[in-house]
Parts: sequence; structure tokens; C-alpha cells
Amino acid sequence: MGRLSTLFGPERVAVIGASESEGSVGRAITENLLASYEGEVLAVNPNADEVLGLPCHDDITDVDSPSSIDVAVVVVPPHIAVDAIRQSGEVGIENVVVITAGFGETGSDGAARERELREVAEEYDLNLVGPNSLGVMSTPKGLNATFGNEMATEGDISFMSQSGAFVTAVLDWAAERDVGFKDIVSLGNKAILDEGDFVAEWGEDPDTDVILGYLEDIDDGEQFIRTAREVTQDTPIVLVKSGRTDAGASAAASHTGAMAGSERAYEAGLEQAGTLRVESVQELFDYAQILSGQPLPDGEEVAIVTNAGGPGVMTTDAVGDSDLSLAEFTDETFEELRETMPEAANIYNPVDIIGDAPAERFESALSTVLADENVSMAVVVACPTAVLSFEELAEVVVEAQQESGLPVATTLMGGKSVGEGQAILTEAGIPQYFDPARAVNGLDALSEYQSIQAREFEAPETFDVDRDRAREILQSVSHRDTNRLGVEAMDLLEAYGIPTPKGDVVDSPGDAEAVAEEIGEEVVMKIVSPDILHKSDIGGVEVGVPPEEVRDTYEDLVVRARNYQADANIIGVQVQEMADLDAGTETILGMNRDPQFGPLLLFGLGGIFVEVLEDTTVRVAPVSEPEASAMLDDIESAPLLKGARGRDPVDRAALVETVQRLSQLVTDFPAIVELDINPLVATPDGVQAVDLRLTLDQEEL
Amino acid sequence: MTDTLLVTSVEEGIGKTAITLALARAAQEAGKEVGYMKPKGTRLQSAVGKTRDEDPMLARELLDFDAEMHEMEPIVYSPTFIKEAVRGRENPDDLRDRVIENFEDLSADTDLMVVEGSDRLETGGIVDLTDGDIAEALDARVLLVCGYATPGDADQVLAAADQLGDRLAGVLFNGVTESAMDELADDVMPFLESRDVPVFGALPRVQDLAGITVGDLARSLGADVLTNEASTDTHVERFTVGAMGGNKALDQFRRTRDAVMVSGGDRSEVQTAALEASGIKALLLTGGFRPASAVLGRAEKENVPILLVQSDTRTTIDRVEDVLHSGRTRDAETVTRMQELLDDGVDVHSLLELSE
Repeated sequence: MGRLSTLFGPERVAVIGASESEGSVGRAITENLLASYEGEVLAVNPNADEVLGLPCHDDITDVDSPSSIDVAVVVVPPHIAVDAIRQSGEVGIENVVVITAGFGETGSDGAARERELREVAEEYDLNLVGPNSLGVMSTPKGLNATFGNEMATEGDISFMSQSGAFVTAVLDWAAERDVGFKDIVSLGNKAILDEGDFVAEWGEDPDTDVILGYLEDIDDGEQFIRTAREVTQDTPIVLVKSGRTDAGASAAASHTGAMAGSERAYEAGLEQAGTLRVESVQELFDYAQILSGQPLPDGEEVAIVTNAGGPGVMTTDAVGDSDLSLAEFTDETFEELRETMPEAANIYNPVDIIGDAPAERFESALSTVLADENVSMAVVVACPTAVLSFEELAEVVVEAQQESGLPVATTLMGGKSVGEGQAILTEAGIPQYFDPARAVNGLDALSEYQSIQAREFEAPETFDVDRDRAREILQSVSHRDTNRLGVEAMDLLEAYGIPTPKGDVVDSPGDAEAVAEEIGEEVVMKIVSPDILHKSDIGGVEVGVPPEEVRDTYEDLVVRARNYQADANIIGVQVQEMADLDAGTETILGMNRDPQFGPLLLFGLGGIFVEVLEDTTVRVAPVSEPEASAMLDDIESAPLLKGARGRDPVDRAALVETVQRLSQLVTDFPAIVELDINPLVATPDGVQAVDLRLTLDQEEL
Repeated sequence: MTDTLLVTSVEEGIGKTAITLALARAAQEAGKEVGYMKPKGTRLQSAVGKTRDEDPMLARELLDFDAEMHEMEPIVYSPTFIKEAVRGRENPDDLRDRVIENFEDLSADTDLMVVEGSDRLETGGIVDLTDGDIAEALDARVLLVCGYATPGDADQVLAAADQLGDRLAGVLFNGVTESAMDELADDVMPFLESRDVPVFGALPRVQDLAGITVGDLARSLGADVLTNEASTDTHVERFTVGAMGGNKALDQFRRTRDAVMVSGGDRSEVQTAALEASGIKALLLTGGFRPASAVLGRAEKENVPILLVQSDTRTTIDRVEDVLHSGRTRDAETVTRMQELLDDGVDVHSLLELSE
């Protein structure tokens, strides 16, 4: 049992701020608790003797053995809320649900109050929900410590929401659709307990089969990934993360005061965490229902059985749009279908058993295809006809599903005529929709979750690196008046074992010549200035400079830089050995630190692939070898790395290792907020980092 | 016999006032009677009713003088004055006499007179009263304050040295960034010495002198400070404009440091991005739009003040630019800090020719 099990399964609950006054939140909570909660409810309010028939205590210390109170629900006005929480901590109550609003969400005074609340909660090690929360619910004990107007029905879905209003809406909606819940929590301002804590709790809860969440931001993305990755091995997590669009992100920022973070980081982070991300509320519950009601498939092949040609085609399209595929039947199946189905039927997938099919024909066809070893799941699509009873059909589908142990979804395309059929299917946990695409999507979610469960997590490799040297280089920026470092920090890469071309940064033409002579062949020369971001655009890069022209080129580069920006801080010129660009492929490897998920690695092919086609892929670091390797395959232009059009393939192992080493570098140094190696040239014999640009957070150093 | 030191510079906003007053105070602390004068008032403010340079006011307060303002600042180098001088309605000889007369009054019974020059070396030429002319008239030694960025700046120093001739006591570089300091000390200063331009030293650029506090910025702009607890004592040196989407904005904000972010009050995503970047020390919101209260709460949590002005973003940027450029904090603390820097970087006693 998790740390929060008493929060959801308390014996004694105290309402601090219980009230009888009509329309008050204190009354709503007390009433809700009295209505269904099995345990003992205690009322605390110094201004009342009795609340709704309960004797009222002046404060929490007046209650008999206050330390045995499991949950204190705080509903008092904001200016005394923190005191009430402190008192609860003092008497030894572990779980506090703070309904009171008027904290960080309301501005300056509220922010000060929230800071105080956090200090008190930390002092007493409280499990604190909220503040600004609608409350918590748990159906096994009938606990309804919310001020919503509906109690959830019992079920195996646990649900958390960053919006309290959305909880009330969902409960109202769920009541009509027989969607049952185990626990529900409204997260409020997430001062102490956040999404990660509840995911961890429900992961350990045997009565929770599916975890649902509505989130606007994630406090600690890295921690969330770690927790969720473990939980999703047993319990699926389905999330709606709002604020996807720019306008949505702005709305979310106004609502929570937190930066929404980049959509790409969420996409990558939530995917790595093993959660199923959905975009609409409908999908959220579609996924929840099928995940809680149906077994997982062991493949992705779908069989479709229908009495209607058109809807059969629509369903086939939906399969095509999903990550599922249409099953190819074995010969035995064809044979059996040929025997049992009418002549006019189409026995190929999608199986059309034609308009005059009664429930028995469905039963026969469905059992046949589900017995086929090439079939992992099935969709039954039926239109109402005079010879078909949806009620009977529902019964045969339930039977066939249970017999086969494979997941099935239905599309009984009717309104009134579905009637009792709906209840029979729901009872058996088989999702039923009017729209075939929803049924297919649901099955797709099952298949996706199956592949998440099959994932094996490998720890990121730790390379032997020169961390002290790297730290030294980074610290060199601290007494400059910029946050940026460029090629002058190339040694940083060397320190982490990322190969760079021979060369040096010099500040006189004579030194430049000396370096070029040492290299002994044509060199690349680049202006080194933290103020000049796009060196090549201003003529700050010269390629193929023979040693005798190095002096003049030095002069040219400095003049061009000064012409571009008179007061630019020019550190000098980098003289570098030429990378073999003909044999090599230019790639880009970078990192941008996301406010929520931390270091987000980016990989792609350089040049037009990244600039025009934006063909890049991202992962939250640290990444393991398989993850780094998968990044290489993710990009559309991946075949170019494998040696398309007669070229030799690049040294894939070296490229993968470089991704891992950069992952280690940016994980070791949180002060690096962005970093680009562009280009990272990959050849058949290895890789070389040719250019580097990074930004540091001075305060993290 | 009174020793007179005139402090001048080749450009404005280089820390002349702080250096002048710090030197004066150092002399006072060494037991000398010190007087102060700024013959041409150029930093004009008319907030107090009469148009005056604000530097002499600070000098009076800081060095405890009881001299009259009009004595300390005989010429108000105002636009009207300049126009009249060009039209031939000001007599250079009379002006010169007035300066000398006031100087003599002020310098009576002092061991050292510090005379602050005007914004630039050539200012005053229309009435034959450049800082060089004044040094001549008052028989003053001249301290030349310069900034430094690139070796090319030596041209300017040499030209000024030429103009000042034997009056030049030496050059003092101020506000030199860490990245330029080595080059200055290793190459440029020896070079100047070799051309017979004495150099007293170079003072590093320090943050509390380079920037302006958020509180001062708010006062200069007439902005409301919306946060209660977030500290407004932090210094800002530059500004950045939040005009793009949240994530692009975050990239930009992270690349800057000690900056104030200017943006519309209705751009929550830009504001929260600014709160994520440690280089952004304050938010300046325009258009009179109050931010979302959750953003305000967040700012308190991050200890980043939020200022609000009624003007639009374009106008606000111009104002901020002005304030950041010329509005370096001038107060007692600045002078104390400058005194510390001088003690660390320069032989103050020999600069002031204090003989113990």
C-alpha cells in the first residue's frame, strides 16, 4: 500500500471550517461526507455548537484523540488556513486536503501565504492536497470530501485533475454513462502533492486499473518520467495535457502561472514515461474504458465483422489511419467462413456477412475469425435491420469475446435501437460506439499500451569523462558579460570524449599561421565571438585556406566581424583542420533545457534537412544506448545515414555514442541551458564535432 | 596653496561624477579641506523648479558643503544658453571671469578643489570654455576618464592628451569589462606610457555601478511595482523585448543576463517564460494591462519584481533605453563603491598628490 492510502481510505475525517450556512463550501463538504462516507466525520468551527447534527469542536485539539484523525479537510478562509494546517500538523494528522483558495493563484499576498503553507507542510511532513482544490473522493469507503454536486460510482479508474471544475463536469458526465471510479483528486495548486505522487500511489493500488489525468503543466518532468515509467509496466496512464497550441499555452500560463513548456518536450517526455497521451476528453474516457474492460492484444492485427458494406469500409480506413493493421486470415479460416457464410458474403477481411445476417451469423463469423492465430482483436460493425436484434447481438459478442480472451470493440450503428445492447456490452466491459473510428482508436490504445508494457528499460551508460576539466571551461564564462560560449569551448566536447578536429583559437595572425603550419594542410578559419551567432552569414567562416593565406584571412575575418558589429566582443579566430565533408554527412546534435522536462536532446541531419524540412527528433536526456540508437532511425532522412545512393554508411556506433556522451554532459551540468553541435560530421570512420554553441545559466554554475 | 584637479572625459556616462566625488571624499578622509565645482551644468533637470545640473546637488549633500548652487555651477549649459551664445549674446570673457570669480570664492581655505568637467571634452567651445580652457583658467591638473573596448580607442585618448597638453596629469580607464582588461593592461597601457601619456590605472566594470536598480528604474519610468515582496534592489543593465511565442522567448531570455523584460501585460506565456530565465531580473509590462494573478504569484515565488506602465511597448522601450544609458544610479552608495574600486585599482594618494 502506498503512502497516500490513508488519504483515500481514512477512518476519521475532520472538516475544519464545517458550516451550516446555506451555500457555503464548508456546508457542501460536510453534507457530502455525511451523505455517503462510512467513517467518522468530525466538525470543527469555533463559531458553532452543532453543524448538520454533528457536535462542533472549537479547534482540532478539542477533538478526542486528534492524532487518530486520518484526514483534515481545510475549508476556512485564507488568512487562517495556514494556522489550521499547522495545528493539524501539531496534533499529528498526516493528510490534509486544503480546499481554501486565495493562494499563489491570486497574486502577491497569496504567493506569500502559499510559501508559508509549504513551509508548514514540510515541517510536519504532511501529505497535502491543494490548496485551491475541489477535494478528494474515494468510492470504496464512500468518501466524498469535495464540494462537487455528484458522488462517483464505484469503478477501477483513478482520476486526477489540475482543474477542479473539470472534475465536477466529468462526474456529471460519467454518472450518465456508467463510468466508475476508484479515487479522484483535484490537484489544485500542487503546493506539495503533485501528479507524480498520485501516479506513484495508484501504481501501487491493486484496485486502480487505469490512471487518468488532466494536466496543464508538470512540475518536475524528470521525476514524473521516472515514476511513470515504472507504474506503466502494470497500470496504464492516460493523460490530457492542455496548452498544446500557443493560444492554449498562454491560457494555461494565466491559469497556473507556470510556463507551459514546449509541446515537443511534452510529447517526448510523456512518450518516454510510457503514458498514453490523448487530445480530447472523449478519447480520455474511451481509452480508460477499453483499458479497464478489455484484455491486451498480443499483436496489432484486426478482424472486422460487419453486416454493412459502407461502414465496413469506414472501419477499414480507420484501421489504415491507426497503427493497427488488417489481419490476413489463414486458409482454415477462409474455408470455415466459406462453409458457414452465405454465397454473397465477403469472407475476406473486412468480413461482410451481408444485410440479412441475424445474430447467429455474427456469432459464427466472429468465433471463426477470433480463433484465427493471425487475429489479435476484432471490431464488430452492425447496422440495424429487421432480422437483427442488437440485444441478441450484444450477447453473442460478449460470449465470443470472453471465450477467445481477445479484445473486441463494437460499433452498433443505431440510436434507440441499440437499447439494451448497450447495457449488456458495458456490463461486460466491451466499448460500444456509433462511430467505427472510435472503436478502432480504442483498440489502437490497447495495442500501444501492450507495446509500452513490453518495453525494457535500460539504464543510460556512464562514460569515463573529465568532468573537472569541463567544469573549468564552463566557469570561464562567469566573468564575461555574456551567457554564451562558442568554439572557444570546444575542449568541453573533448573532455566528454566527443571528437573534434585539430585546431586552436588564437588572437593574432602570427599565432594563426603557426597553428595552420602545425596542421600542415588547408584549414578552416572562423571568427570567434559570443556576439556573432550566425558566423557564416557575415562572412565569418573561410574554408580551405592554404597556410600562406592564413595571415590575410585572419585580418579579413576580424574586419568583417567589426563591420557587422562594431562593439562585438571578438575573442579571436579559430584555425581548424578541414573535416572531410565529401565523405561525411552533416548532422546536428543539440539540447535545449525544457522548464519542465529538463534536457531535451535533438538530433537531425544538418543543412536543409533541419532548416527547411525540420526533420529532427527529440528525447529527454539521459538516454540509453537503445534510445540514442532509436533517435537515428526516427528522422525521415535516416536512409542517408545508412548510405543511400551509393554512399558508404556512416559510423553508426560512433554517432550513437556521441548522442549518449552529450546526454551525459547535459545531465551532469544543469547550467547548460542550450547547446548545439552543428555540424556534427559523420563519416564512415567516425564523427567530428565541427562547431559548437552553448548558453549557460550563470546562477546554476 | 590650493591644488586643483579637473576631471574630464571623452564621452558621457563613463562614471565621471562618481569618480570626482569619490576622489573628493578620499581627500576629505585624508584630512584635507576640499571644495567642489562644476563650471558648466549639462545634466539638466528641472524637477526642482529651476533648471540645474543634478551632480552639484549630490556633491553638496555628500561632501557636506554649504556653498550656493549657483556658485558651484556658474554656467547652466542649457539649450537656450547655447542658442544665445551662438547669436553672440553671451560674452565669453564675462563668462570666464564669472567662473574664475566663483572658483576663487569656493577655493578659499581649501587644500584641494575638484572640478567636474562637462559631458565631453569639446563641450563649451562656443564660449571658449572647453574643459581644457577651464583647466588653463583655473591652473588645474586634468584627470582624463576614458572607457575601453578595443585597441582603436587609443586614438581618442591620444587626441585628448594632445589637446590637454601638459595639463594632463593622467588617464584613468573606467568600466573595463573582464574580457577587455588583459588587452588593456598588457598592450594598450604600456603603449600609451610609451607615447608619454601617463596612465593612473584601469577600474573594472562592476555590476552595481554599471546598472540601475529595478527600484530606480521604476521611479524613473513612473511605473507601478505590482509585486510586494520580490526585491527591487537587483541591478539591471539591459532590456529584452518579449514579442514572440513562449518557447522562442525562453531561448532569447536565457541568452541575456541582468536584463529587464519588456512585454505587453496580456502576454502570460511570455511573462512565465521570462520567470523561467535566470538572467531576467524584472518584468516591465506595458499598456496598463495587469498580468494574470497566478503570474503575479509565480513572480513572488521566483523573487522577480513586476513593473507596470501605462504607455505602449514602443514608447516604453525608448524610455528604458534612455534610463539605462544615462540614468546610472547616482547616490551615496555609488560613490562609496567607486571609492573602494579606486582604492583597489589606483594609487589615490599620488593621483591627488597628497603629501603626508
